[in-house]
Amino acid sequence: MTRSSSGNVYVPFGGKVEVVIPQARDISLFRVKTEAPLDYAPGQFFMVSLWGAGEVPISVASLSRDDAVVDLCIRRAGAVTGALHALEAGDTVWLRGPYGNGFPLDTSRGRDVVLVAGGIGLAPLRPLIEWFMENPGDAGRVTLLYGAKSPGEIVFRDEMEQWRDRGIEVLVTVDRAEGGWEGRTGLVTGLWQELRSDLQQATAYICGPEVMIRAAMGELFLLGMPEERIITTLEAHMKCGVGKCGHCYAGPRYICTDGPVFSYREVKSYGLFLSR
Amino acid sequence: MKREWILEKNHISYWLRQLRKDRDLVGPLRNEGKDVVFMTVEQIHEVVLDLPASLPSPKEFLFPQYESMLRFNVSGKVPVAGPGAKTVSPGACVECSREGDLLDLADRRRRLVFGVRSCDVSAVRLLDRFFLEGFRDPYYEQRRKNILFVSIVCNNPDPTCFCIGLGTGPYLEEGFDIQLTDLGDRYFVQASSAEGIRTVKDMSFLFRRPRKADLDDQYEVFLSAKARFHKRISLESSRRAILEGRVKDSFWRRVTERCFECGGCVYECPLCTCFTVADRRYPDAVERIRLWDTCLFKGFTRMAGGILPNGKRMLRTKRWFYHKLVHYPEVFDEFGCVGCGRCAVTCPGRIDMATIATEMKGLDLDGSEQRP
Repeated sequence: MTRSSSGNVYVPFGGKVEVVIPQARDISLFRVKTEAPLDYAPGQFFMVSLWGAGEVPISVASLSRDDAVVDLCIRRAGAVTGALHALEAGDTVWLRGPYGNGFPLDTSRGRDVVLVAGGIGLAPLRPLIEWFMENPGDAGRVTLLYGAKSPGEIVFRDEMEQWRDRGIEVLVTVDRAEGGWEGRTGLVTGLWQELRSDLQQATAYICGPEVMIRAAMGELFLLGMPEERIITTLEAHMKCGVGKCGHCYAGPRYICTDGPVFSYREVKSYGLFLSR
Repeated sequence: MKREWILEKNHISYWLRQLRKDRDLVGPLRNEGKDVVFMTVEQIHEVVLDLPASLPSPKEFLFPQYESMLRFNVSGKVPVAGPGAKTVSPGACVECSREGDLLDLADRRRRLVFGVRSCDVSAVRLLDRFFLEGFRDPYYEQRRKNILFVSIVCNNPDPTCFCIGLGTGPYLEEGFDIQLTDLGDRYFVQASSAEGIRTVKDMSFLFRRPRKADLDDQYEVFLSAKARFHKRISLESSRRAILEGRVKDSFWRRVTERCFECGGCVYECPLCTCFTVADRRYPDAVERIRLWDTCLFKGFTRMAGGILPNGKRMLRTKRWFYHKLVHYPEVFDEFGCVGCGRCAVTCPGRIDMATIATEMKGLDLDGSEQRP
């Protein structure tokens, strides 16, 4: 089980599931260890597969530390992710990648950062949170605005205190308050006025359901943030991850190789929002 | 490094028989339904030499409709390449290379495809760029490395053909392996690629140098071929109409009303390359295969959880034309169309490149249709 040496981009390499950490209903974090070191960047993804079930693109949910480990946060949503959810520690999972362009960290260098996430959309932003925690001089004030449908669907809840302790401001809101929730309720886009950053100078990284991305991008733009610094990562059906199968083609771009990370300027000019 | 020879027609069977000795010969054959299609040739005399202008695209020899990619042994033992793979995908997996518990089933069989047209050679040049630039597609690459095309200059284009406006036919100046021009009793033979030149020179005793009369006759065929085209289509004006915003969604809605969503245009198009990947389970193994797919089908972009972008049919029609008319020129500086006209032959709703380009011409500046 080593990384493919054949030069065939479709040949996956095996990894062992080290631990499965349930996050919410139907959402778990799978920590996968491979034999050879992995080198990936925030915003990139792997094609993750099980033989007999198929392959799906999954964003990296951890920061690459040259140690052959990657966290994959997966929601049970279909046939392949359903099969992946049956995995336990010690099982083998197959990977190809990393693929995609990743977040442009230069865009936020020296600036305040606003991370906007909805639901499992927090997973692709988690490597950024880890990056900003470990490199406190890289950006100014870092604020996470996070929205979930209900308290039970908040992911990485256990880590949020640690994020706060290490300088990340974390604001959480839910659509429906349940089970004695005393925090905020309402949409994540209702939290702009709580920000202590100058939006015209800041950079935003956004991930979540498309309706949320669309609303957040549009509102941040109206609040004065330049469109090149409003950045998101998009999701699409993919079969290859390498720009050949055609499934993720949107506008004149392939989400897999030209993205999945795009600025608001690109999203608008290429018409990349999928639901039209 | 173009080289020219003359091959007498009564030598062609002998030549093909020799070429077949160390590779599969693929050529136009008449099937049970009397259609002429590209198939692996068993009997040389069955090769159809007076072929019609348009045959089904030979793309399936580079990018087959069904292709086994990888075979993974479930039991942990390294599987033996051969019987299993052969029953699933005839002809594939002759020389499988091992990859741990995995077999790479890339098809490395040597092939010579005889009788393709210039438009298809032009399409292959674009497929090369698509499949081999950026990430290299190993399945296409292995087939491509082992294939040689012998193309025949079109002297009798179909009414649906419009390669002439795109520079992709009816004959090519360069970029082919071996190009034949039918001069009645003999072929004018040109070789352009190194492999093409080597292939002719290997049997140089069959060929003679062209004389002035041969050159004159070839020139005459070129001229008369050019004169026989019915269609003069400018895809550049279609591209401009789209970029200038003259082609509104109402246009695509109207066009889509004629679409049966059969996918015929995609399967016939020598440049449509979309595929899906699936795992096939067997008692002792799993094969990861790929199949032709089409952006015109509703489920093409469906994501887990039921999210369905491009759910509207109109968006899918638009996407197909945008990809060929706008995206291809942007990325490759060429249209994603070689003017072969197969979509026109196939589509029951007349949604083909030439018809759509013509309809776009009738659009006013504001996108409304001109009334006669």
